[in-house]
Amino acid sequence: MMEEMHVLESLPAYALGSLDAAEAQVIAQHLAGCHICRSELNAFQEVAGQLALTAPQAEPSHNLKPRLMERIQSLSPSRSRTEPWRFAGPGLSVGAIVGLVLIATLAVSNLLLWQRFNQLEVLAGPLGMRAIAVQNTDAAPNASGFVVISADGQNGVLVVDELPALDAQHEYQLWLVRNGNNTSAAVFSVDGSGYRGMRIEAPHTLLVYSSVRVTIEPTGGSAYPTGEQVLIGSLFNP
Amino acid sequence: MNDGFSPVLKKSKPDDFHLITLIAQSRQDAINELYERYNRLVFSVAFAIVGDRSVAEEITLDVFVQVWQRAASYRPELAKVSTWLIAITRHHAIDILRWQRSRPEASSVNWEDISPQDGPLLHNLEEQIEGTLNKEQVRKAVAQLPEEQREALALAYFKGYTQSQISAALKQPLGTIKTRIRLAMQKLRKLLVEDLDGS
Repeated sequence: MMEEMHVLESLPAYALGSLDAAEAQVIAQHLAGCHICRSELNAFQEVAGQLALTAPQAEPSHNLKPRLMERIQSLSPSRSRTEPWRFAGPGLSVGAIVGLVLIATLAVSNLLLWQRFNQLEVLAGPLGMRAIAVQNTDAAPNASGFVVISADGQNGVLVVDELPALDAQHEYQLWLVRNGNNTSAAVFSVDGSGYRGMRIEAPHTLLVYSSVRVTIEPTGGSAYPTGEQVLIGSLFNP
Repeated sequence: MNDGFSPVLKKSKPDDFHLITLIAQSRQDAINELYERYNRLVFSVAFAIVGDRSVAEEITLDVFVQVWQRAASYRPELAKVSTWLIAITRHHAIDILRWQRSRPEASSVNWEDISPQDGPLLHNLEEQIEGTLNKEQVRKAVAQLPEEQREALALAYFKGYTQSQISAALKQPLGTIKTRIRLAMQKLRKLLVEDLDGS
């Protein structure tokens, strides 16, 4: 009886793209609300991915990469960047790392500097501190944010702005990503303007993590990401 | 001469998900690296489906452009990067195939016809693709399927046939084709995903 509530038998064909259009649409609608079937589908999509290895090896033309890079350049010339921008600010003679992080947070909360920051990729500040912009997704197209990390990675701050307000059943959750594994670092909500600044709590130095993500989760957080992703960013750690 | 590519990226070889996050932040060196890792796989799949080099190259370009535009929406918990790339490639290639309505006669389509057993091992791809599976393991798994299941799977996977179309082409009841595809994928899932995860 439980089987009839799901679409498990159709998932293999759905993963292959071999359902008729009408049936595929019905399955897609079911998947939107069924995490069990979505999880099953992931496994069959993995199979479909592996089957690609049996395709006879073929080599594209050598000029394909230059054509790709030209096309990417033409899409959004102002978006494409290759080198991190260096900020030559005044040196600070004193200050604990936490204090530096706080100063940086307050500084970049200034509107003018915020707008300037949004056009940059990375700010490298005094004493090796870094501030890194994160990228929004279609789920939160007006959102912005950045992560500030101390030189030794022991301290970090996340600041977000214009994240949509969530209902009482949901909160945002910050994840630190390392080798494909997600570690929860914060569960938070935002104020009326979608703004929040918070300290990042991590079991290890932030220097070991490669990326950060913010997703929408049930109130209290989840053991692993389950909801929409709203922000994503590389920490530029090798 | 500064080629615009970060020496850190060249030296550190970030994992695929890290590359995607860098691409989401408009790093050209990251899309370049991803292309280096997967251009052959993407092109091979596209070419196997459409059978035309120039069309397959356009598909390959479109796939990486899509990655450039959609990187921020990639979710690692749903699929590996390679799986995501292949899904985009197949979807695009099959759309083109169906639009062109260029269907070969499907009187007999064997997996071996599409994927020669004596082809060269893809050592470069094996190094690039996440996970421990390689081409020979996948081929061996496929070889364990009954011939009728391989035939139906080949039409679905490399020719973009729907189950209804396979049923008509092979003159088999639709229910039979659905069962063959379901059983084939379930068997492959056990061999390629579950058994390896457990080992």
